Amino acid sequence: MNTSFSVDPAKIAPVKEFAHSSPLTTCRFDPKGTYVFAGSQDRLLIRWNLESAAKTTFEAHESWVQAIAFAPDGRTVLSGGCDGKLIWWNATDEKPRPIRTIAAHRPWVRSIAVSPDGKLAATSGTDKLVKIWSIEDGKLVQEISGHAKDVYRVVFDPKGAFLFSADLKGLVKRWDAATWKHVGDLDAAKLYHYDQGQGVDFGGVRDLAISPDGALIACSGLIEASNPLGAVHTPAIVVLDGKTNKEKLLERPKEDIKGSMWSVRFHPDGFLLAGSGGGSGGLLFTFKPDQVNETYKFSLPNILYDVDLHPDGKRIASAHYDGKLRLSAFARVKT
Amino acid sequence: MKPNRNPPTAVLIALASLWACSRVDAVEPAADAAKKTAATSKSQPAHLEAQSSDGVSSSSSLPLHERIDRLIERELEGKFALPATDGEFVRRVYLDLTGMIPSADEARDFIDDPSPYKRDRLVDRLLAAPTYARRMQIAFDVMLMERRDQQKVPADQWKTYLYQSFLENKPYDQLAKEILSADGSDPTNRGPSKFYLEREGDPYILTRDVGRLFLGRDMQCAQCHDHPLVDDYKQAHYHGLYAFFSRTYGVQPAGGGFMLGEKGEGEVTYKSVFKKKITHSTGPRVLDGAPPVEPTIAKGDEYWVAPANGIRAIPKHSRRASLPAALASDKNPAFARNAANRLWALFLGRGIVDPVDFDHSDNPPSHPELLDLLANEFAQSHYNIKALVREIMLTRTYQRSSEPPPNVSPAELGAARYAVANLRPLSAEQLAWSVMRAAGIVDAKRAEVERSLIGVDPRFRAIAELDSKRKALAERLIESETYRSLAGNEHPFVHFFSAGAGQSQDRLDPTVHQALFLSNGDPIRYWLGPSPSWLVGRASASTDPAATADLLYLALLSRRPTGEERAAIVASLAHRTADKPRAVQEIAWAIVASSEFRYNH
Amino acid sequence: MRCTYSCGSAEHVLSRRSFLGGAAALLGGAVAGASGFSPIALADSLEKKRKQILVVYLAGGSSQLETWDPKPKTDTGGPFGAIETSVPGIMISELLPRTAKLMHLMALVRGVNTHAAAVDDHGKGDYLMHTGRAQAPGQEYPRLGAVASKFLGKESDALPGYIHIAPGHGGLGRNESAFLGPRHAPLYLGNGQAPANTLRDPAIGDSADQSRQAFRRMLNDRFAKRRRSAETEAYTSTYEQAAKLMRERDVFDISKEHAADRFRYGDFDFGRHCLLARRLLEAGSTYVQCVHSNYDTHNENFAFHLEQVGEFDQGFSALLEDLHVRGRLEHTLVIVMSEFGRTPHINLYQGRDHWCKAWSIALAGCGIKKGIALGKTNARGTEVVDHEVSGGSLFHTYLSAVGLDPAGGFEVDGRPIQIAEPTATAIKELLA
Repeated sequence: MNTSFSVDPAKIAPVKEFAHSSPLTTCRFDPKGTYVFAGSQDRLLIRWNLESAAKTTFEAHESWVQAIAFAPDGRTVLSGGCDGKLIWWNATDEKPRPIRTIAAHRPWVRSIAVSPDGKLAATSGTDKLVKIWSIEDGKLVQEISGHAKDVYRVVFDPKGAFLFSADLKGLVKRWDAATWKHVGDLDAAKLYHYDQGQGVDFGGVRDLAISPDGALIACSGLIEASNPLGAVHTPAIVVLDGKTNKEKLLERPKEDIKGSMWSVRFHPDGFLLAGSGGGSGGLLFTFKPDQVNETYKFSLPNILYDVDLHPDGKRIASAHYDGKLRLSAFARVKT
Repeated sequence: MKPNRNPPTAVLIALASLWACSRVDAVEPAADAAKKTAATSKSQPAHLEAQSSDGVSSSSSLPLHERIDRLIERELEGKFALPATDGEFVRRVYLDLTGMIPSADEARDFIDDPSPYKRDRLVDRLLAAPTYARRMQIAFDVMLMERRDQQKVPADQWKTYLYQSFLENKPYDQLAKEILSADGSDPTNRGPSKFYLEREGDPYILTRDVGRLFLGRDMQCAQCHDHPLVDDYKQAHYHGLYAFFSRTYGVQPAGGGFMLGEKGEGEVTYKSVFKKKITHSTGPRVLDGAPPVEPTIAKGDEYWVAPANGIRAIPKHSRRASLPAALASDKNPAFARNAANRLWALFLGRGIVDPVDFDHSDNPPSHPELLDLLANEFAQSHYNIKALVREIMLTRTYQRSSEPPPNVSPAELGAARYAVANLRPLSAEQLAWSVMRAAGIVDAKRAEVERSLIGVDPRFRAIAELDSKRKALAERLIESETYRSLAGNEHPFVHFFSAGAGQSQDRLDPTVHQALFLSNGDPIRYWLGPSPSWLVGRASASTDPAATADLLYLALLSRRPTGEERAAIVASLAHRTADKPRAVQEIAWAIVASSEFRYNH
Repeated sequence: MRCTYSCGSAEHVLSRRSFLGGAAALLGGAVAGASGFSPIALADSLEKKRKQILVVYLAGGSSQLETWDPKPKTDTGGPFGAIETSVPGIMISELLPRTAKLMHLMALVRGVNTHAAAVDDHGKGDYLMHTGRAQAPGQEYPRLGAVASKFLGKESDALPGYIHIAPGHGGLGRNESAFLGPRHAPLYLGNGQAPANTLRDPAIGDSADQSRQAFRRMLNDRFAKRRRSAETEAYTSTYEQAAKLMRERDVFDISKEHAADRFRYGDFDFGRHCLLARRLLEAGSTYVQCVHSNYDTHNENFAFHLEQVGEFDQGFSALLEDLHVRGRLEHTLVIVMSEFGRTPHINLYQGRDHWCKAWSIALAGCGIKKGIALGKTNARGTEVVDHEVSGGSLFHTYLSAVGLDPAGGFEVDGRPIQIAEPTATAIKELLA
């Protein structure tokens, strides 16, 4: 990674597309930045070589693949799906086969996070549980309960001291990553809605990102859910203070945009990159962490379900309903 | 129900008009007008020639009410009930002509009035009062709208339209024509358009309901073939009526309210599902009447305003607009016949043709000559509703007791024979207003309205009493404001005592929800509270338990208690001195919940 | 919007002569009660065991693919798998593990096609599934609950014949009983609460109430003695019914049930409503409808079905099992339905849209075959390929199952009307 360059948060351009025949659900760059991986509704983990565009499929899941995480060395990739399975793969194999398959959650694995030291994987599921696994041998290290609803996201803080888990009700729990003791709650309940008329729970923390210095925690999702079953809601980010656990800011689009903020990342330059999909299509946003409205908004040609930021801080991957994995890029500025 | 100290704006405006008008063009006293119009009948249309086998109905020198009675009593061989007592009568006629029971004072005054003419006088007084217009407004709203949702036209506009119509005793054919002409396009007069607009201008619904409500014929089953059971209902009749509406549709132009548009083209064809090979076509036609003449319009020249999305199309020839003249006409005997039958049913509890929307030869009228007589007289009087109502009120038939005569078998007293007054459950509105009347809510509100008018200017009363026209106007102001203030109390009663939207509102089964509402619901509980100016408070204040009993009975049942009943109350109050208001409240509730209160009898 | 025989004319089925004969025969014996209705034909109405109906209504249109007809590992199947049930060969969605164990009590109907009459519209689908007829302007037919109240209920029942438990305020339109009148209109238990006005003013003690009721009866006796009593009897009997309902008000109170049962049914509205339905059926209610809201999942269909079907599975399976164990199922018809199903196509919001062409309902209990799945859709669930059934035929089937003759009728103000849509017939393969 070349950190002597910064990017222009107000300039994104399309780069290229990789095509698949079924809607994509999630995407991740590998830590070395050689590949982009995606999960699909047709039960595949898919790898594209960013340079050659060579496409490799990882076949073992029995349902939609919707979570991907890498060990820091980039050799091991974990995938989780709506079959409840957590599968270990060699990320770079030509003909990939599952190394290990574990029934991790019921029915769905929602997300996977790998600890910065590469030793542990945390998973969360629709069974309201968080589980900690040894990456080395697949053993269950810890099962953590305490959420009342689906746990959408698990994320380790950059130093590996804490694990955050965030749920459908907008509750973010902080766990000590050594003892797995509960050490505090953060409130992003603004992203949760109970619709009395429809009798449904909706929203929640769809993604969570921690600033490099650990000072800020950004939770993405949606607000103003006037019709959950009809997809009428506004994408939004709740920015929380990592020290006080208090909300600092609610960020939202300037204009009338409909959708859910499926993903949020802290860019090394300190701004937020977020991806929204919904009634207004697929959109990328950049936000300053202390400003309500976006710095920049970039429209993609199709609704999206996940966004990831390349280790180079420049390239952006997005996973789309039309089966395309789209690459976009920030313009670089000399520092 | 907080007392309103400031007079409402409507009152101020109305008061201003009372001030301003040095020459008030109020309607002439209505009963006089009714009598006058009835007397000056037009020459008879050909089909209205009275037919009679025994000369009863053609003996037109007799007043109409006498001719009605003779036709009814001819069938009864003397086996019919005695005349209603004064108590029965005063309650019945107040319910029918004002929509609520009389106050205790009104009932007592009537019962104690020795005049032999008091019944006729009371009928005329009530027909002349604004409460008659109010009662008919409510009855016709329920009949024509059948509790449909209030979505397209505010209920107030429609009700005000009906109220004004009955206040001026608008001829029924004019009323029908106005309603059947109103398409909602005139923003200043949307009231009468409610009939069409709440039915969303749907041609099928309009065909059915115009057939039912204005012709007394539910021809729905003749849509796909001649009616399987009713020889008189032809598929051609259904589609002839449908052809008036087939080009009509509902539209909400930008910035406007919902209204009717109409296409200038499109013919109605139909075939019987039994004889699918033959296709018929028809233009607009009311039953077997002459089809309205249709102008020849060149193709491409059909429109003043052509149809487009969100635009109200206006054709050069409107088929729908040709309906009122064809339907509300002397040439269409079903028109007067339906109206006469429905008015009769409103006051006698059963149509001469019954159900009122199923007029056909296999469901004959109970008294065919009577129905012809009423329809003919109604048409000849230029559809004078008030005149017909007055004649019905004056009949012995209307004024019979609901207590059957002794030694007559029930079979001889069937509802269709009118040998005894039919029991009629109070409508939702009659019930709400009657409880409020009995409890003293209506009169307290009335007094408050009057006070607020006087409060605005103490000369009000003097001005109002200067002459009869001003007095009538003042009375209308007071009635309107009292009604406006209390009408919201109808809602829970309508909720529990009505059928579904768009359903016939006649003959509803009693339900347990109604009993629960009357037993435990808030309104009754509140109105029978011990406020000093209300019934329970006043009845409790009396030191004489017999007087308490009399007041309760007069206020609630419009009669004095029997000796037995009075004794029962005196006895039960004797050991309730500590909580007398509560004891009185229990008795009042029992009366409200009794059959005698529930029914117009 | 032309009617297709929905005027109720049965000439297509019955000859005019026989129909007139039936109607004429009626006139002789017709009771001129306040209602003006009389049954023309009522088969089996004197059965010893009281027939009851439970309808679980999955409002908004539940997905057949996430319930009764899963298509795992297809492009339309969505992320959920299929699981074995207690009936070998019948697989249902993995979201229904508890219900799967009771499949031997149930019959699935997988070939429902209501497209012609419901055309993917909530109101039309709702009307069709409750009345067995296509909605047409100017016509209203009574819903199944009103029909059950009319023909299965008894005048002496304390509980109204048609009880509707729904979340929130619970009120729907006001036409559920149509021409059968308010007596057969639903009693709405909004959010499972006891009906309105069932608590006496606490200021009125028992003895005060007795004395006021006695006074009321005295007045009524005097009135009735001197007047024909047919009209007033029905009215006065509603007070006795009201008193009974107030005495038995506890029937609406599920806190009287064991904590273990409350836990088993689920600590959420639908679970509580299912438990309430059990109480009401055991108290003799003729027809109980329990609404679970809401399945209109144009957006995130799978996440919403995960939550909703999970609740349904817990509450419904507990109720079905209890009805079975307690011996009630043999005289209680159980129907699980919606206004329609949802599209096999997964839309861009990961939702599914309205779909009438190939969907499923589930039945159990009185008069219904056990452990069968009738009808079949193709591999992607886009078409019925075997035993297609209509809304009208389902309605006939419900009536037949509880021993009512769907070709029977009633007279409304002198107009004979067939109970069920005349062109349809009951589905024999479903009837035990």
